[in-house]
Amino acid sequence: MWSTPIPMKKVSLYMVDADAQQSAMTLAQMSVIHPLENQDNNQLLENYPAAPFFSVYHRLNLRFGKIASFSKQGFEHSVVSTDIVTLQQLQKLDEQLKRLWAQVSDIEEQLRRQNEALHVIRQLSDSLQKFTALDLDLSRLRRQGNFLRIFVGTVPLGNFSQLKRALSLTHYMIKSFYSGEGIQHVVVFGSSQQHEDVQALLKSADFRALKIPDEFSGSPSELQANMQQQQARVVETIGELKQKQTDLLLENQPVLSEVHEVLISARPYASLATVLQGRGGLVSLRGWVPAHSDQAIKRQLEKDLEFPFHVEFTAPEIDEFDDVPSLLKKSWLLKPFQNLVTNFGIPGYKEVDPSGLFALSYILMFGMMFGDIGHGGVILLGSLFLYKRFPPFSIVGALAGLSSIFFGFIYGSIFGYEEIVHALWMSPMHDPVKLLLVAVVWGASFLLIANLLAIRNFLATGLYQQAFYSGKGMAGFFFYLAALYAGYQVFTNQPFGWLESLFLMAPMMVILHFQWRQSSAGLFERVLVVFIEGLEHIISNVSGTLSFLRVAAFSLNHIALAAAVFSIAAMMDVVGHWLTVVLGNIFIIVLEGAIVAIQCLRLEYYEGFSRFFGGKGKAFEPLKIEF
Amino acid sequence: MSHFSSTYLSTRLSTFINRLVNFERLVTLIDFDLDRIFLDVSEITGHDYQLDTTNTSRIETQLVNRALDDFQILIRSFSGSERRFFYFAIRWFELVNLKVLIRGKFSSIDNAEIHKRLVDLGSFADLPIKKLLETDDPYEMLRMLEITAYAGIVRQARRVYEEQGNDLFLLDATIDRSFFIDLYRRASFLNPADADHLAVVMGSLLDRINLLWLLRYRFSYGLSAAKSFYLLTAVGNKLNSVELMRLAKMDSIEEVIAALPNPYQKLLSKVETVSEMETVMEYHSLSVASDTLNSNSSLVSRIFSYILLREAEVRFLQAIIKGKQLGFDSNLIKQAVGAAI
Repeated sequence: MWSTPIPMKKVSLYMVDADAQQSAMTLAQMSVIHPLENQDNNQLLENYPAAPFFSVYHRLNLRFGKIASFSKQGFEHSVVSTDIVTLQQLQKLDEQLKRLWAQVSDIEEQLRRQNEALHVIRQLSDSLQKFTALDLDLSRLRRQGNFLRIFVGTVPLGNFSQLKRALSLTHYMIKSFYSGEGIQHVVVFGSSQQHEDVQALLKSADFRALKIPDEFSGSPSELQANMQQQQARVVETIGELKQKQTDLLLENQPVLSEVHEVLISARPYASLATVLQGRGGLVSLRGWVPAHSDQAIKRQLEKDLEFPFHVEFTAPEIDEFDDVPSLLKKSWLLKPFQNLVTNFGIPGYKEVDPSGLFALSYILMFGMMFGDIGHGGVILLGSLFLYKRFPPFSIVGALAGLSSIFFGFIYGSIFGYEEIVHALWMSPMHDPVKLLLVAVVWGASFLLIANLLAIRNFLATGLYQQAFYSGKGMAGFFFYLAALYAGYQVFTNQPFGWLESLFLMAPMMVILHFQWRQSSAGLFERVLVVFIEGLEHIISNVSGTLSFLRVAAFSLNHIALAAAVFSIAAMMDVVGHWLTVVLGNIFIIVLEGAIVAIQCLRLEYYEGFSRFFGGKGKAFEPLKIEF
Repeated sequence: MSHFSSTYLSTRLSTFINRLVNFERLVTLIDFDLDRIFLDVSEITGHDYQLDTTNTSRIETQLVNRALDDFQILIRSFSGSERRFFYFAIRWFELVNLKVLIRGKFSSIDNAEIHKRLVDLGSFADLPIKKLLETDDPYEMLRMLEITAYAGIVRQARRVYEEQGNDLFLLDATIDRSFFIDLYRRASFLNPADADHLAVVMGSLLDRINLLWLLRYRFSYGLSAAKSFYLLTAVGNKLNSVELMRLAKMDSIEEVIAALPNPYQKLLSKVETVSEMETVMEYHSLSVASDTLNSNSSLVSRIFSYILLREAEVRFLQAIIKGKQLGFDSNLIKQAVGAAI
């Protein structure tokens, strides 16, 4: 039903530095070690021998990533070389990639400039179009006179007014003849004397001049043709540059492929840069490994390492539990539920992995709230249909569908019809109060189990006081039991005497006393904290229990929705009737199904997990070969 | 903004005002060692600054982050154009990082050294600092910057840098100019009452920037009057575009000062160098901000004034830290922060 993460051992491996890289490769191939950074600032082993290797690896990896993003070729390696990658090999490849990246980057820069030039030509071409209607010899604009200078071109809209004011200081005029796409098409003219200052100013204002070729002496339409040629040339240059880049990458594909393979092989050792510590040729590696794999690790290291080494495995001490990574037991069926659990948090090393309990209660609650043979069948078939595309989702869906079918038989409901199948128990509508009571009993049982799990977790992690005296511990468990009994007595009009009151008050006093001892604030604040915590404990138990009423409420809602669909269908003709029934059922499956799925998750997370599940564990992340 | 939010913000702002370290107090602190300075600053500001004398960049980061956190408290109740205006205004802090990055890369400074000069802005950071630092050349970095929120500013800066003979000083100036023009534009979208009040404090800030850049362009760089004027933000308070055009035509610093409108002429009449002018103008603009902050002006203009004063406080403290770290004499640090004028 539930399990705990796989037992771990701390491994300490001492070896000569010549074997460090081989040990990283061996352990990565086995995928068994979660490396541990030294937090004690070990003064004896003050060097990090893998740090220089990591530095080059990181640089090479970055450059490879940048270059690969331009490459159209893939880099597939299903088998990796187990040869050791040397620092010199990495440095050599890094130098090669540095040169290659400089070439790629240079082409990129040229492309950027060409694209900008193309943009400018298009703007100027637009500008020129405004002249085409005029019978104007534009070559006159090129022939600058002794007294008058004229510039035609574009300027960004945002720069126009400031440029206009600045030009007035030079006795130049600027006239806009067209505006669009964030630019102004302008003519600037004035005295020849200050034209150098004006040209510098225009440059600053990002003015793009319409250049009239020396050989040109014609009308705007002829210049337009000339600009189209310019545009074609730039487009051609862009094409050539792109081709050059493709050729360059293709030519260097073998190198890139080699780098990719080397990076895969070098990664395990490089990723130990902050883990491996050494001094004078001795290197130490620490980490966590599954307890059952200790002998296999030792054997493999004996086989692979060239020089003598020392390895020791120790079980974690109680004060190390927070640092031990959690490796959850794998199960094909529980995998999707494990994903939902880890979405909330990763179980601590000694904490219960609630995936099994979660799966069972989730599936049962879904069925209770959405009990219908037909709807369940549709969900089941739909999930099976989608299995190949969304396997985890399909498993949850199929199980939820099966549960829905099961409760459909219990309630005697198929596509909302309650007369076709005889109910094994009863339809929710026939006795809603009974159903609500069942939901409360279900909720109370759920909370009691959550409380027991919390006690178990406290005991497993050495938090004995919390296990016995806290609201989530035994005191809380007995208080809740007494409160349930008190509730039962009140609702059944039976006496509630001093003995029952004592059973209710005693655990509460223990909880409050525990709170009092935990608090270190001043007297008034302490009283206030203890009072509020006590009150909060009572309220959370009541609200938590009542929260499960939604299990009954949604099963009633399911029937009510079906009844609404049938009422509407009854008002239609035959075609309309069946159309409404079909669409209504689809609506129920999609909308209510989604709401019920979310509500179940909410009950699990907030009423269940928050009571016993810390979820502050660390995931076991082994050193491994990654392709 | 609701009446409740406005009252809440005014109250928060009043508490923040009481925690500002005034300039005279800062100057007296220069004579003490860093431990004592931060003990006093922590006491005044209520922020528990953790000084690590072996790594002063941490305290510099703390100073900026605490300021940004306080700005966040003040501006998160705003929405629409006010919110956009304030978020843009506090981008100034990131612009400092942007300039450090661009300068560093173009000057081929080692990545580790550039990184040391950057301030960690935490959740306020927009720039992908790590990726930018890892670029192999400045142009690759500029291409990367052209896909960030600073694309417009960077494009303008790149153009000026390439066309004006690779001058990093002009590149900084262009970045500042683009920022202030955009800030001014965003201020124009505020409601008229806020915009009017803001014009006083923002105008004084822009006067300071415009005048100093005008003097540098004209007399340090020898640019023409027209080009010098063009490179200014040209939307000030006392120094509007007409005034700036008039000043741009002057042939010497003395002529410019003599032609300045008051109070600037009076303030700068006994000052000789541009850096001294910078200090005097800065104190003037901060005193305008301080007056606005303590007046019944609009909440938007008071918060903007608070941002200006707090930014100056952070900058002064950073200058003191740097000075102390380099073992400078107290008088030299006072000169650097302008207290000796």
